[in-house]
Amino acid sequence: MSTPASSPSPRPGSDGNSGRLRAVARYSGIGAQMLATIGLSTWAGYWLDGHFHTKTPWFTLGLMLLGLFAALYNVIRSVTREP
Amino acid sequence: MKRLLLALFCLLSFSVYANEPTPTQEEATDKEAFSPGEMILHHIGDAHEWHFATLGDENEHGTHFTIPLPVIAYRPSQGLSVFSSSQLAEGKTYQGLKLEHEHLVSEDGSKVYDFSITKNVASLILSAVLLLLVFTAVARGYAKRGSGAPKGIQSFFEPIIVFVRDEVAKKSIGPKYERYMPYLLTVFFFIWFNNLLGLLPGGANLTGNIAVTLTLAVLTLLITLFSSNKNYWHHIFATPGVPKPLLPIMIPVEIIGIFVKPFSLMVRLFANITAGHIVILSFISLIFIFRNIGVAPVTLAFGLFINMLELLVAILQAYIFTLLTAMYIGGAVEEHHDADYQIGGGDGPEQAHAHAH
Repeated sequence: MSTPASSPSPRPGSDGNSGRLRAVARYSGIGAQMLATIGLSTWAGYWLDGHFHTKTPWFTLGLMLLGLFAALYNVIRSVTREP
Repeated sequence: MKRLLLALFCLLSFSVYANEPTPTQEEATDKEAFSPGEMILHHIGDAHEWHFATLGDENEHGTHFTIPLPVIAYRPSQGLSVFSSSQLAEGKTYQGLKLEHEHLVSEDGSKVYDFSITKNVASLILSAVLLLLVFTAVARGYAKRGSGAPKGIQSFFEPIIVFVRDEVAKKSIGPKYERYMPYLLTVFFFIWFNNLLGLLPGGANLTGNIAVTLTLAVLTLLITLFSSNKNYWHHIFATPGVPKPLLPIMIPVEIIGIFVKPFSLMVRLFANITAGHIVILSFISLIFIFRNIGVAPVTLAFGLFINMLELLVAILQAYIFTLLTAMYIGGAVEEHHDADYQIGGGDGPEQAHAHAH
């Protein structure tokens, strides 16, 4: 079993393994954030619909769409920003 | 190997919802049958006593190896009552209090505030003592040897501390990183140590408790908010490059973003650690479900594999939590937001650009 430290190629500066690890952590964080945004806003809409006894679930629909928009907006903003 | 680890990392850093505990049907119908759902929930949950093992029959007269923990209950009518949790063992009632599914309730149904030193609290205190012992030893090493070569326990932790400083704090926060180093190091080692303590036989599932991860996430949120500069708030309430009529939509979107970041931190740590415990326990339960010695080598091998994997997950989750915390802080203390003009710029009103600079 080869450990990352004993890889034959010389390490290009401090960026290498840790740079890649960092990128993976960052982008997986963005993904989780997207999931959480949509989930939380949909749950909030669902709760509001239950609270106000709405006939048509407008809160669920509206907040879900807002959450979708917010999630996409945050993803686009995060990936266009320089790390 | 590196690729494999990376693929694993992607999988593991995602919350595993599929493994949410669901009580089995046997639980309700057959009392004699072994119910893995109940056993697993008991293991990942909090308890008023620290249970290690039971010899003999669980329901009959088995010998329980437990450490009783103090129960501290406050009732507005009767005041404070402190006693050992062994008084409440096996559904007994003491001073009008009893345990119902590990919930402290009073017999007459009045309100009880439970401040007990539960298994998780005891584990938290234990880990705090351990962290203090380890890191005062490390700090003593620096006081004695200064910038000379580290020795003993100090030389084990120095690379990790330097890693958190150079790779996490400096790269994410920038020149103001030094102020946040105490929190970042504390949160890193707290999560790592408690993840490892949770993997010990008989250990408490502390970092897999949503209240603990909530506290950590709230601390991150508060530090982010209190260290934010005017650029951060300007970005939220007057996002540069966004036309004014769109602001009523953009402000809620930005505010959702503030709270979702720590929320995802909370859920990720909770779900990863709890799911890991559930997977290990599920493999062990297979032996008792099949009641066949042939299954044991396979399930033990899988259980051992997942256990080794959890050792990796323990440090990985500590790293991810620390890194994302540092990134959120970095976003709040950043001076320029030049890169943001790439998105949605162009069409936006010019004065927004001028104003932002």
